[in-house]
Amino acid sequence: MTKNKVAYLIFRIVLLMFIIAALDFTSGKILEYYYFKQNSGLQYRTTYSMDTAKTDILVFGSSRANHHYVPEFFGGDTMSFYNTGRDANYILYNTAVLKSVLKRYTPTLVILDFDVTYLNKRQENYDRLSSLLPYYKSHEEIREIVETRSPYEKIKLMSYTYPFNSMILTIAAGNMETNKERKQDDRGYVAFRGKWPKDLDTMVFREVIDDTLVRAFESFVTSAKNAGSQLVVVVSPLFYKYEQTKSIEIAKQVCEKHGVQFLDYSHDSTFLSDRNLFDDLAHMNDDGARIFSKMLSKKLIVKKKTGL
Amino acid sequence: MLFNSFSFLIFLPLVCILYYMLPHKFRWLLLLLSSCYFYMAFVPLYILILGFTIVVDYFAGIYIENSTGKRRKAFLVCSLIANIGVLAVFKYFNFINENLTSLMQSVGLVNQVPYLSILLPIGLSFHTFQAMSYTIEVYRGHQKAERHFGIYSLYVMFFPQLVAGPIERPQNILHQFYEKHAFDYHNIVEGARLILWGFFMKVVVADRLAIYVNVLFDYPDLHNGTSLMVAAIFFTFQIYCDFAGYSKIAVGSARILGFDLMNNFERPFFSKSPSEFWKRWHISLSTWFRDYLYIPLGGNKVPLARNCVNLAFTFTISGLWHGASWNFIIWGFLNGLYIVVDRLVNPLTKKWRNAASYGLLFRIGGRLLTFWLISLAFVFFRAKSLDYALIIITKIFTSVGELYIPSPAQLIFSLLAITILMLSEFQAEFMQSKYAFFRSSNMLVRNIAYIVVIFLIMLIGVFDGGQFIYFQF
Repeated sequence: MTKNKVAYLIFRIVLLMFIIAALDFTSGKILEYYYFKQNSGLQYRTTYSMDTAKTDILVFGSSRANHHYVPEFFGGDTMSFYNTGRDANYILYNTAVLKSVLKRYTPTLVILDFDVTYLNKRQENYDRLSSLLPYYKSHEEIREIVETRSPYEKIKLMSYTYPFNSMILTIAAGNMETNKERKQDDRGYVAFRGKWPKDLDTMVFREVIDDTLVRAFESFVTSAKNAGSQLVVVVSPLFYKYEQTKSIEIAKQVCEKHGVQFLDYSHDSTFLSDRNLFDDLAHMNDDGARIFSKMLSKKLIVKKKTGL
Repeated sequence: MLFNSFSFLIFLPLVCILYYMLPHKFRWLLLLLSSCYFYMAFVPLYILILGFTIVVDYFAGIYIENSTGKRRKAFLVCSLIANIGVLAVFKYFNFINENLTSLMQSVGLVNQVPYLSILLPIGLSFHTFQAMSYTIEVYRGHQKAERHFGIYSLYVMFFPQLVAGPIERPQNILHQFYEKHAFDYHNIVEGARLILWGFFMKVVVADRLAIYVNVLFDYPDLHNGTSLMVAAIFFTFQIYCDFAGYSKIAVGSARILGFDLMNNFERPFFSKSPSEFWKRWHISLSTWFRDYLYIPLGGNKVPLARNCVNLAFTFTISGLWHGASWNFIIWGFLNGLYIVVDRLVNPLTKKWRNAASYGLLFRIGGRLLTFWLISLAFVFFRAKSLDYALIIITKIFTSVGELYIPSPAQLIFSLLAITILMLSEFQAEFMQSKYAFFRSSNMLVRNIAYIVVIFLIMLIGVFDGGQFIYFQF
């Protein structure tokens, strides 16, 4: 009697698993199809950065990169530009995207926007790698990075739906007629328009350095260098003053070791505490971004001319 | 080990298979070893603390049973001191020290006592309270002292309820470790259903709402009262689904193994008064405080004024049980205050409540008011500090503005999750077996319901939501 019940239970479990697997495959394939059919929005910009962009200048980084580097100031008429920065996606994401880019071509200039706590241990660094899950199966070069999300990521990624978890509404919006033109970006750059209303004292960060992030940063630097791209690591302006962070110290050391230029604008007096140039504490608005982009591009041109 | 981790998805079936394959006499050992492994997946060393309380209470139980008069009481006091002492050191030492420092500073003195740099062992308050209920019940003569050290250890350590309850009483659970649980298809299906719905509550509702709640509660000064009010309401749903979801997974896991654990939640959002709410919310803790603190203080068999003091005191201590901070104490006190007001107002409104014309109005209004009051109190529970809580409460009542929507998709998922949850709760509260898809007599309906829930978890569940809120207690 018990044996029969055990057999019945096993049969039910197997049947349920089979149905779920079929459903998972079908829904995963549908979501995948529509995900890659989008032609605007965040997800599209990641796809474009990884699979299509072939510009001379590429900017990498998180939201600070995305909202701080205005295309019209870089490259002039001779060099093309694309900003791959993505909100809340950090060094692991940047390194993965660079690896995909380098598999296709070698950009002339790579700019990495480095945040002052970029190497701080935060679960968010790994959680946000969900942005790369749709590319896991088709991009072998990013798998090692994606697998740092969790020890079981490889198993989870056997599912076809999991890479598109929580994306159904954004995918739907990206495929609707009315939303096909939701293009807010100029070659990846998205402008902020607000003004920051408050003053702020010096910020003190208590960082715990994450070795995986340090390795990812070093991998970013060596990958760009080995491919033959000119690399510049930039700390773009901040609204607040801060005490020197371990992340910045390490970044400087790594850049020095590999002969990479490190430009720090975080304490630049043009921007510091100027409420008219910031949308929030860490992000400049379009006015600030334009002043900064002009300033940086001049510096890069001078460097190119003088070689200093 | 987290219930919402991949490890648990492997751990539980493995334990279940081994459990039913083993002869009955070895099953307790398997459960004990599994429980040790489960607990040691957090911080292995902390099992020694658990071991200490287990040894103390095991012998205390036997000595209490074998003694009479003052000696009997002395052994109980020793056991309580040991248990509360562990809690005091690991959970309350720094809080007491911090307040002592402030107090001494205010009169120009310097506190030389150093702070302890220790992590709070996971679920310490839960298993300590479960251990305490054992010695108290033995002292009261309601429970025989357990002579089998392994079984007693299992009583404290049984993995489904080890880190966040339900806080069981020895009378309900100890005897179950001796009973032979044969493989029961219905138990397994019922357990799996509870686990499935628990996962839904955790990853689809609680962890989704947490995304919005975290942003608003972490930076209240950047947001207006409208957004903070929505965050406060979302947090009430979040904490319910986080904790009730955990409890369902705990009860479901135990059910698969043939054990019956007590129900910890009874659809609390349908409560018509704060008193009713606390009869439906975290039932195992509420009844613990009722039986071991409120009733010994005199309960409601004392004059009204004293009864009100007892209520406020019990709830304040319950707040302190949750966490060593003034936020939790105020949260507990506020809930106590609600109950006291409820107790005082209740007789005055009885006539209106029972009147046919006003009955429905009172029932709906009472539910909404209770929900709102509970949500306001939970602001203290969730806010990072007392200052933050006060900012949030003040803004909720003074600053109206546009709702902060970081992502429309997030908001839609959140509202969808709350809607599904409340429909299910409504069905269970008012419709009994009607439309109970998980329990439908039609096998097709039942299975479609399972698949839809599994699919929703896969499609819109938040898989990196982290640990359960109540693990920290």
